[in-house]
Amino acid sequence: MGILLQNITKRYAVSVVDDLSLEINDGEFVVLLGPSGCGKTTTLRMIAGLEQPSSGEILIDGQRVNDLPPQKRDVAMVFQSYALYPHMTVAENIAYPLRVRKLAPTEIQTQVNQTAAMLEIESLLSRRPRELSGGERQRVALARAIVRHPKAFLMDEPLSNLDAKLRLQMRGELKRLQRQLGTTTVYVTHDQAEAMTLGHRVAVMNKGQLQQFAVPLEIYRRPANRFVAEFVGSPSMNFIDGRIDPEMRCFTADGLRLPLDIGTTQSGASNADQQPGRLRSSFEEITLGLRPENIEVSNAQQTGMIPGTVYVTELMGSETFVFLDLASQRLIARAASDFRAEPGATVWVRLDLRESHFFDQVTGDRLSLPPSITTPQPN
Amino acid sequence: MEKLNPYLRPHPDPLPRGEGVRTSDKSLALALIAPTLTVLLALSIYPLIYSIKISFQSQSGAPTLQNFTRLITDQFFFSALAHTFIYAAIALTVEFLIGLALAVLLNEQMRGRSAFRSLLLVPMMLPAVVVGVVWRLMLNSNFGAVNGTLKGWGVNPEALTWTASPKLAMASVIIADVWQWTPFMFLILLAGLQAIPQEPYEAALVDGSSAWQTFRHVTLPLLKPAILIALLLRSMDLLRVFDHIFIITEGGPGFATETLSLYIYRTAFRFSNFGYAAAMSFVLLLITNLISVGYIRLLQTREAT
Amino acid sequence: MRPGGFAKYFILTVASLAALAPVYWLITISFKHEVDQFAVPPKWFSFSPTLEHYADAFLARSFGQYLLNSLVVAVASTICALIIGSLAAYSLARFRLPRNLDRHLALWILSTRMFPAIVTAVPLFLIMRDLRLVNTRLSLVIVYTGFNLPFVVWMMRGFFAEVPRDLEEAALVDGDSRMGALRRVVLPLVAPGLAATAVFCLIVSWNEFLFALVLTQTDTAMTLPVGIAGRVTQYGIKWGAMSAAAVVAMIPILAFAMAVQKYLVRGLSLGAVKG
Repeated sequence: MGILLQNITKRYAVSVVDDLSLEINDGEFVVLLGPSGCGKTTTLRMIAGLEQPSSGEILIDGQRVNDLPPQKRDVAMVFQSYALYPHMTVAENIAYPLRVRKLAPTEIQTQVNQTAAMLEIESLLSRRPRELSGGERQRVALARAIVRHPKAFLMDEPLSNLDAKLRLQMRGELKRLQRQLGTTTVYVTHDQAEAMTLGHRVAVMNKGQLQQFAVPLEIYRRPANRFVAEFVGSPSMNFIDGRIDPEMRCFTADGLRLPLDIGTTQSGASNADQQPGRLRSSFEEITLGLRPENIEVSNAQQTGMIPGTVYVTELMGSETFVFLDLASQRLIARAASDFRAEPGATVWVRLDLRESHFFDQVTGDRLSLPPSITTPQPN
Repeated sequence: MEKLNPYLRPHPDPLPRGEGVRTSDKSLALALIAPTLTVLLALSIYPLIYSIKISFQSQSGAPTLQNFTRLITDQFFFSALAHTFIYAAIALTVEFLIGLALAVLLNEQMRGRSAFRSLLLVPMMLPAVVVGVVWRLMLNSNFGAVNGTLKGWGVNPEALTWTASPKLAMASVIIADVWQWTPFMFLILLAGLQAIPQEPYEAALVDGSSAWQTFRHVTLPLLKPAILIALLLRSMDLLRVFDHIFIITEGGPGFATETLSLYIYRTAFRFSNFGYAAAMSFVLLLITNLISVGYIRLLQTREAT
Repeated sequence: MRPGGFAKYFILTVASLAALAPVYWLITISFKHEVDQFAVPPKWFSFSPTLEHYADAFLARSFGQYLLNSLVVAVASTICALIIGSLAAYSLARFRLPRNLDRHLALWILSTRMFPAIVTAVPLFLIMRDLRLVNTRLSLVIVYTGFNLPFVVWMMRGFFAEVPRDLEEAALVDGDSRMGALRRVVLPLVAPGLAATAVFCLIVSWNEFLFALVLTQTDTAMTLPVGIAGRVTQYGIKWGAMSAAAVVAMIPILAFAMAVQKYLVRGLSLGAVKG
């Protein structure tokens, strides 16, 4: 049945976690994603039993665990600092959970060896944590979590202390491992790339509140609000504040006039989406969101393109990021790797509004446009 | 390669302030403290209460205030007070000055610094009784090392009867105290000196101040907290001094070196007048409390500026 | 070497000699024949040593018994103080109690150390007399435990606080109880601190004089310092035996103290810097 969080709130002076409800299915890899201080680590620690919720229920496998101390919850935790016992060898570290459950020494030995083999650390079994590299310590921490076959893994930013290359490598191994073991996993990170690649589903949090809980693709394609849209995706989404003119069927901002009747894909209406016009007067104060890959840049003018000025370009090798000024807006665009332009040069820009997003400028909520605006007019 | 010490938590540790702490943890916390509290209550607080009780009783057990009224007319009490303060003041000053000088000397990088420090620590570690024995031997007017060496240098120490002379006895016990505890002053002041950053010194140099001016206007003010701590800790110990005076002079000759602790001891265990002894110990307690509060006040005002 | 540097070394050497010479003198007295002891001018180096005073003190007289008493009392009270105090220190380091109770408790525990000994010695004598515990080693063990407790709590609290919380939390999630985690994970890590604290307690208990003087009366319970004092206050002092006893009282302390001097200095430095 997995893990169920019902209206969890944690209060110190302010609400660190605010009315959070999440249902995590058995065997699922769920990522809690958000900036520092958003409450994701606190939530994880509440699931582990290291902290008590101020209100709300936590259920593991259908059983209410609020009053159960951590040692009885049968979850395993991988700490950001790995928390390896410095005075014990690797083998003793891994064996520890089994030792406190009073398993027979021979049985413990077998399990430790098996788990060490799974993580390819057999050669390290007699070493101490201080003799190991970061990646090796990480594997030992994982081994210690795996060896007990717990109901769930709880991981608190386990990769953030590794250098970039190792992080990528471990990311892949973690994913493969979890799919292989099929254990329910709750994973905390502030790195949106990790969240998108590792999780079955991602729960985006900000200031203690759940922003969106969905599969990665859904979060990327249909972010529930401006915060999620901005947080996920690198380089992040461009935002332009303006208004919509329903008669002319276009989006206007300072010096920009963008036609909308081209069939925007994202606005396949869903119950979650709000339509402007439903709340207040509404087609005012709307923010347009456009990802860098949906902005086309060219040195030569083509039909439908508008002129912009280059601010700076970043040559990434596989592609080029172009920072440009369009009317009074600063935007980032993705261009091909061979695109070149000098700062100050004029380039030609097409904004592909079929993949655009609209948000309420005040609340940040996602909006969808009525078909009356977006349906292409027959010519 | 790791950027951070893996045992460092980069996120602030949200320490639960009481709420959110499991009740079983709370009772465990109190259960762990309970034995200590019990022992301390029994061995520190209960005796105090007992002491209060007997201070208001005469030797036969009848309630009375005479133990306190007697304080006003008791000559021995005033002598003891005077001796205690004189002893404390002189010892404190001498230990402070010597300790400060040594600390200033040792404040630079030099070879064998820790060796010197170890050697200088020796007197501090000795049992007070041994210190008493050592100095009683050294100051023995006939064959003690001090007088013997003086004779060897051609000085006639006939008049220096040290522990037998009412005038010199106080000096004797003070010498022993200074010998034993100057290293303590030295250590604290050294630590304080070493905590002072380089920049103010460099600024003073550039400003053209002399060594003495630098010392007076830069070093001393920055050293104030360490000085106050050292003075506070030593004062508390000096006011209640007992052990080595007991060995060296037993409070004598006559009662020339009898400090308050010694007088209380004599009252309780030679005259069995426990009530009066209790009353006097409260005076001692009051004095030490007032002085420590005074020092702490001074420390706090320093920090506020 | 600069001339200033030379002066520095010179002064320090003089200071070190001043610190050590009296101790050396004591040691020589304990090894000198009585004739040499009273020699004028004093013989610092040129004497033939003898062990007669040590034999006298520890075999003929009761210093052997005093030594044993000191040992028993010091060790017993240290063990008690360590166990009781460490538990409290752990609690104060790990648990936050409401309304800062833990901080107040810590301060109060420390303040009990500030009492002048004589203030509690007088009533404790009477209390022990009522309990018929005067002149027993047990009474000293009890009193010294109380003596050492604040210190143990103060020192061990710092050591416990240095152990990262993560490690205990990992142990809890791994399935261990609080006490199990304390035993298997935390204690091994504070072992050095525990050892240093133990040595401090041993030193304090061994050196203690006033309470021993007040609470003991005969050889059955008297400790080494009291035994020495008893000899000194009589006339016709046997300086040889007494100095032999003093040397024996002194040597283990110096050995221990040198072992932990690093911690001692650190403690003093912290006090000075943090104010």
